[in-house]
Amino acid sequence: MTDNKTNIQDDEFRVLGHRQEKPVEPELTPTPRKWAGLVSLLLILVIGLLIYFNWPKGEDPEIDPGVFDPAPVKLDPETEKLPLGSIPDSLGTVVVERIDTTINDVQLSLYIPHNATTRLTVGAPDAETRKAILAFQAADIRADNRQILGAFVLKGKPLAWGLSKKGYCAIIDGQMTIGVAENSPLFEEATEKEGYFFRQYGLVDNGKLVENEPKNKTMRKALCDRAGQIFVAVSQTDESMHDFAQALVDLGVDNAIYLVGSHSAFGWWRNEAGETEFFSQDKHRASFRNESYIVWE
Amino acid sequence: MRLEKVGKHLVISRGTELLRVPAERLIYIAADGNYSYVVTQDGRKAMVSFQLGQIEDMIDEQLGEAGSRFSRMGRGLIINMDYVYSIDISKQTVVLSDCLHFRHELSASREVLIKLKAYIDAMTQNYDG
Repeated sequence: MTDNKTNIQDDEFRVLGHRQEKPVEPELTPTPRKWAGLVSLLLILVIGLLIYFNWPKGEDPEIDPGVFDPAPVKLDPETEKLPLGSIPDSLGTVVVERIDTTINDVQLSLYIPHNATTRLTVGAPDAETRKAILAFQAADIRADNRQILGAFVLKGKPLAWGLSKKGYCAIIDGQMTIGVAENSPLFEEATEKEGYFFRQYGLVDNGKLVENEPKNKTMRKALCDRAGQIFVAVSQTDESMHDFAQALVDLGVDNAIYLVGSHSAFGWWRNEAGETEFFSQDKHRASFRNESYIVWE
Repeated sequence: MRLEKVGKHLVISRGTELLRVPAERLIYIAADGNYSYVVTQDGRKAMVSFQLGQIEDMIDEQLGEAGSRFSRMGRGLIINMDYVYSIDISKQTVVLSDCLHFRHELSASREVLIKLKAYIDAMTQNYDG
C-alpha cells in the first residue's frame, strides 16, 4: 500500500482502476529441469493407473460428494413447480427486509418477509399477534354495520360473503396467492383446507394496472407478488390509487391488491435491531371488533 | 485453480477467508477503523480485515480499466459511480441506487461531492459530445 493511499484527506477524490492490471506471467519454454519434472509426473501417473486397474475389486465404498462436486438434487415434482420463495424455510431466520426505492417520483418502502408464515386475524391484535414481525390491516370494514367488507375466511371458517372488490388474497397450506377475479375457487378451497381468504381492491392484474374508484391521495399500501416473491409496498408520500398502482406496475409486480391505507391504518414491522416500528401515527387507538390483519410470524 | 474471469471480480482474500464479488454488484465500501464493509447489491454487508487503502490497491490491480467505475471519496468511502442516483452538496449526501432494489444514502464532505459532481458532469459531456 502506498503512503499516498493511507494519507488521503477527507476532501480528496480520485477515480480508481487506472493502474495497469497485473501482467500475466508468460509461459516459459520448458527447461531441462522442467522436463525432468514432467517425466517424473508421467511415471507416477502410469504407476498409479497400473495399481488402480490391478487392485482387487470389492463392494464400491460409499463416497460422500465433495463440495466442488455436488450430487444432483432431485426435487419433489410438486415443489419444483412452485415459484421461488413461496415456501418459507422453517429453519431460516424470520426477518423483514426493508428496501426503499423511488418509482416515477413515488417513494416506496418494500417490506419483504423472509422465512415467515402468514395468517389472518380478526379483532384487535392480541399478545400473540403482537409478536408478528410484520402486520397490516387486510380487509375493509363496512361503514354502516362495521362488518367485514367482501368475502372473508378465517382458518377455514367463512365470516363474510359478497363481492365488493375484485382483488383477493388466499393463504392455503401456507402458500399465498394474490389475484384479481370476480369469482375465485380459492374461497371454497380455503374453507375446506382451514385456509384464509379476503378481498380488497385489485391494483395490478398480471402486470396490468387496474383502475379503481378512490381518487383522493393518502398513504397507500399493497400486498404484491413479483415473480413469486411476496412483499408489501408502502408509499412514503400521499398518492392517488392510480399513481400508486402505476408505480407497482413499473416495479415489475405481477399481481397486487390494496391493503387498508391512510395514515390511521394500524400495522407494524420489526426492524433489523428488533425494534417495532408502527405505520400509523396513533399506535394506541381503539380497534374495531371486525378489524382484520394479515400477519407474518 | 486459475480463475479465468478474475478481471470482472474483486477478490479479497486473507488467511482462511475469501470474498469474491462481481465488480458491477459492488455498491460501496466503507471504512471502519482497521476494517472495511463491502456492501453488495443483494443487501449484504461483509466485513473484511483490510483498510480502505488496501482495497483501493486491490481494485487497481485486479480490475484494471474496469475499476474506473469506482472512486475513492475521502478517507471513508469507495463508491461505484454507476449507481450514483443523486448528489446533494448542501446536505452533503450522495444516494446510490439502481432505482429498483436498493437505495443507500451516504455522507461525504462538501469538497468531495463537488469533485464527484464535476467528474460525472464531465463524463456526461464527453458522451454527449
